[in-house]
Amino acid sequence: MRKLVSIILLGALAFGLVQAVKKIPFGVQKTKVGKYYVERGIEDTGSSNIVTSVVLNYRGFDTLGEVTILFAGAIALGAVLFTGKKRIEREVYPASPILSTACKFLFPLILLFGAYIFIHGHLTPGGGFQGGAIAASALLLIFLGCPGRKTDGRKTRLMESLGGIIFVLAGLLGLAYGGFFLFNFLPKGTVNNLFSAGIIPVLYIVIGFKVASEIAGILDNLFGETE
Amino acid sequence: MVVSPVLLIAVPLLLAFIAPLCGKAAKYIPPAGALFNLILSVILIPTVLKSPMIVSIGGFPPPFCINLFVGPLGIFFAALISLAGFLISIYALSYIRERAVGKYHTLYLLLLTGATGVVLTGDIFNLFVFYEILCISSYALTAHNAHWHRHGTEAAVKYLIQGSVGSAFILLAIGMLYGFFGTLNMADLAKHIARAHSSVLFIPLTFFIAGFGVEAAIFPLNAWLPDAHSVSPAPISAIFSGIAIEIGVYAIMRVVFTLFGAPLSVMSVLLIVGLLTLLVGEICAFRQNNIKRMSAYSSIGQIGLIVFAFGLATKSGITAGLFQITSHALSKILLFLTIGYMIYSIRMKNYPDKYVTEIEINSLNGLGKKMPLTSLGFAIAAFSLIGFPPFIGFSSKLLIVKAALLKGGIYAVLMGIALIATVIEGAYFLKVVQGIYFRKGEVEGIKENNVFILVPFFILAALIIFAGIYPGILTKILNSSSGELLNRIGYIGRLPG
Amino acid sequence: MIFYIGSFALVLTGLYIAAAKKNLIKIIMGLSLVDTGVNLFLISIGYIKGGTAPIFSNAAIPGKTMVDPVPQAMVLTAIVIGLAVTALALSLVIKAYYHYGTLNVRKIKELKW
Repeated sequence: MRKLVSIILLGALAFGLVQAVKKIPFGVQKTKVGKYYVERGIEDTGSSNIVTSVVLNYRGFDTLGEVTILFAGAIALGAVLFTGKKRIEREVYPASPILSTACKFLFPLILLFGAYIFIHGHLTPGGGFQGGAIAASALLLIFLGCPGRKTDGRKTRLMESLGGIIFVLAGLLGLAYGGFFLFNFLPKGTVNNLFSAGIIPVLYIVIGFKVASEIAGILDNLFGETE
Repeated sequence: MVVSPVLLIAVPLLLAFIAPLCGKAAKYIPPAGALFNLILSVILIPTVLKSPMIVSIGGFPPPFCINLFVGPLGIFFAALISLAGFLISIYALSYIRERAVGKYHTLYLLLLTGATGVVLTGDIFNLFVFYEILCISSYALTAHNAHWHRHGTEAAVKYLIQGSVGSAFILLAIGMLYGFFGTLNMADLAKHIARAHSSVLFIPLTFFIAGFGVEAAIFPLNAWLPDAHSVSPAPISAIFSGIAIEIGVYAIMRVVFTLFGAPLSVMSVLLIVGLLTLLVGEICAFRQNNIKRMSAYSSIGQIGLIVFAFGLATKSGITAGLFQITSHALSKILLFLTIGYMIYSIRMKNYPDKYVTEIEINSLNGLGKKMPLTSLGFAIAAFSLIGFPPFIGFSSKLLIVKAALLKGGIYAVLMGIALIATVIEGAYFLKVVQGIYFRKGEVEGIKENNVFILVPFFILAALIIFAGIYPGILTKILNSSSGELLNRIGYIGRLPG
Repeated sequence: MIFYIGSFALVLTGLYIAAAKKNLIKIIMGLSLVDTGVNLFLISIGYIKGGTAPIFSNAAIPGKTMVDPVPQAMVLTAIVIGLAVTALALSLVIKAYYHYGTLNVRKIKELKW
C-alpha cells in the first residue's frame, strides 16, 4: 500500500520534472552571470581557475556559510554521540606488517598531495575542500592501518575553530580596507603564479586545514566507542 | 557613518567559531552575540525605514556577487530573532546545565546566525545555505543529549529525514530557476520572472513551497513538528516555535511575493492550506494529554493562521500576518519557557537523575500557589495566544479579522471558520490554566527562586502587555515591511544596472 | 538531455527508497542518492556542448568554450551540505540503535508517526 502510494506520487513528480526541464535548453551558452565570470574573472580576481574565483570571491559568502555548515555538522555529530564517559579502548589486533608499512609509507605522500591540491586551488582543479578531504583520507588510512594511533581531539577542535575565525577575520579586514565584506584586499599578482589572486590562496589553505581536521574529528567520533 | 549590516551575520559567526575554545565560559557567548545583534538592528531601523540598504559582499556589482537586501522586513525579522534569541539564551544560562553544554551553546548561536542570514540575504542560493545552517543545528538540538533521551533521538531522525527531502526540493527549484534565467540574485530573478511565461514557473514555485513548507510546518508537511517541539528541552522548543518555523514562513512569503509576484491561484491555495493547518493543529492540540505536545500542536495552528493572513494578499492582510508572527513569537516563547521551568522544578524534586523534557497536563495541577510568577507568566502567554485583550494576541487577531472583512465575500466566511478554531484553542488553554490554579495536585516543596529564569519571563510578559495596549509602536515598521513584500517593482528597481 | 534523465532517475529512486524502505540506513542511502541526483542536475545545467573546465592555465583555450562555473560552485556547496547532513544522520542512527536495538522504522515509534 505504502509502496503503491509512493509510486503514484513519484510518477506525478516525474511528470512535473519532465515538464519543467523540457523548457531548459541543454548544452548551450546561456547564462549572463556565468559568461561575465568567464570573461572578467581573471581581471577581477587574478585567479586562473574561474570556479575558484566564483567560490571564494564572487560568491565567497556562500563558502563562508558552507564552512559553517561543515562546522555545525561536526559539532552536531559530537553532541549527538556525546556520552560523558571515558572511551573504552577496544581490543586491537596489530595489522600485518605489509599493511602497516604501506600505510606509513603512503601517509606522507597522501598528505603532500592534499596540500598540493589546496595550495594550488587558484591555478588547477581542486581547492580547499577537495584537498582537505584528501588529507583526511590519509588520516583515515592511519586509523585503519595502524590501530591505536589517533588524532588528538583537542587539537582538531582548535584547528576547526581557528580556521573559521581566520575566514571571518579576513572578511572583516576586507570590510575595513575596501568597504566590502570579504573584499579581496591583497595584491592580485601575476596570473598563473603561485603567489597571485590575493586572499584566495590564503583562504583555501585555511579551508584545507579546517576541512581536514573536521573530517578527522568526525571519523574519530564515529570510531570512538563508549560502553 | 553607518554600520554595515553584514556585521549582523559576521559577528555571531565569529563568536560561534570562538565558542568551542572557551570551555565553561561558552554559555555567555550566545547572549553576547544576540545582544550585539539586537542593539545593531535597532540602530539600523531608522536608516532602513528611510530606504533599504543593499550591501554587496566581495565588492562586485550585483547580480555578479552576493548582496544583502536589508529592507524593513529583513531588519524587523533580524530584531525579532535577536530579541527572542537573547531572552532565551539568558534563560538557558541556568536551564541547560548538564551533559553536552558547550556544544549546545555553539549550535544555538549557529541557529540564530542561520535565521538572521535567511532574512537578510538577497540571493536565493545564499538563502538556501543559511537555511541549511538553521536546519542542521535544529536537527542536532532536537536530539540534545541523545544518549539519555530516546524520544529526542527518534524525533530528530524523523525531522532530519523530512527536512532533507525538503531541502532537496528547494535545491532542485533553485537549479531550475538558474537554468531558465541564468542568475541567482533575487531582484534579478524577479525581473526575469515578471517577463516569463507562467507555465515554466509552476513547478519551481511548487517545489519552493513544498521545501520551505517542511520547516514552516504547513499541512500536510507537519508530521515532524509535534515530536521535535515537544521532546526537545524547553529553550529549544521555544526557539523552534518562536523563530524557526517563522523563518520557514518568511522564506515562503519572500519567494511567493518577491520572486513570483503572488499569483492569485497560488495565494488562494495558500489561504486554504493555512486554514486547514489551523484546523488540524487546533483539533489535534485539543486531544493531547502532554502539555508540550499540546503547545506544539497549537504552534501548528498559529502558523496556519499566519499563512491564512498572508494568503489574503492585501496590505492589511500581510501587516496582520506579520503582527501575528510577532505576537506568536513572544507569547509562544513565554509559554514554552514557563512550561519548561515547571517541568524542571517538578523533575528536580521527584527524579533528579532522569533526563525529562515532557510532562502530563495533570502533573501541573496546583502549581499556581507554589510557583506564582511562573504560573502568571503561563497564564499571560496562554491568554495572549487565545486572543484576550489587553494582550498582544488580541491586537493581532483583530487585525486579521479586519483584513479578512475588508476583503469581504468568501474571505469573511473563511475567517468565521478560523475563529471557530480559535475557540477550540481557548478551550484547551483555559483547561490547563484552570488546572494550574484551581485543582489540587501533589506538588510539595517546589519553589521558584532562579533570577536568570524569571527575568526573561518579566521582560516577555511586559512586552506582550505593552504591545497589546499600544499596538501602534509596531505599526510603522510592519506597514513598511508589508509594503516591501507587495512592492515587487521597488525591489527589482533597487538592483543597480 | 541524457544527463537530465539520469539525474531525475537518481532523484526518483532515492525518494522511493526513502519512502518505501524500512531500514534507517537504507533510508539515509536514499537521501544520499537524492542529493547526488540534484547535484548532477545542477552540473548538467551548466554544461555547454564541447566545453572544457573554466580554467585559464592554457592560453590556447578561449573563454567561449568553457562551461558555466556557477553551477560548479553551487554543487561544491551542496556536496558539503550533503556530507554534513549524512554524517549527522548516521550519528543519530547510531543513537537510535543504542536506544531501540533495531533499525526498523516501523518498530521505532514510541512517539506517534
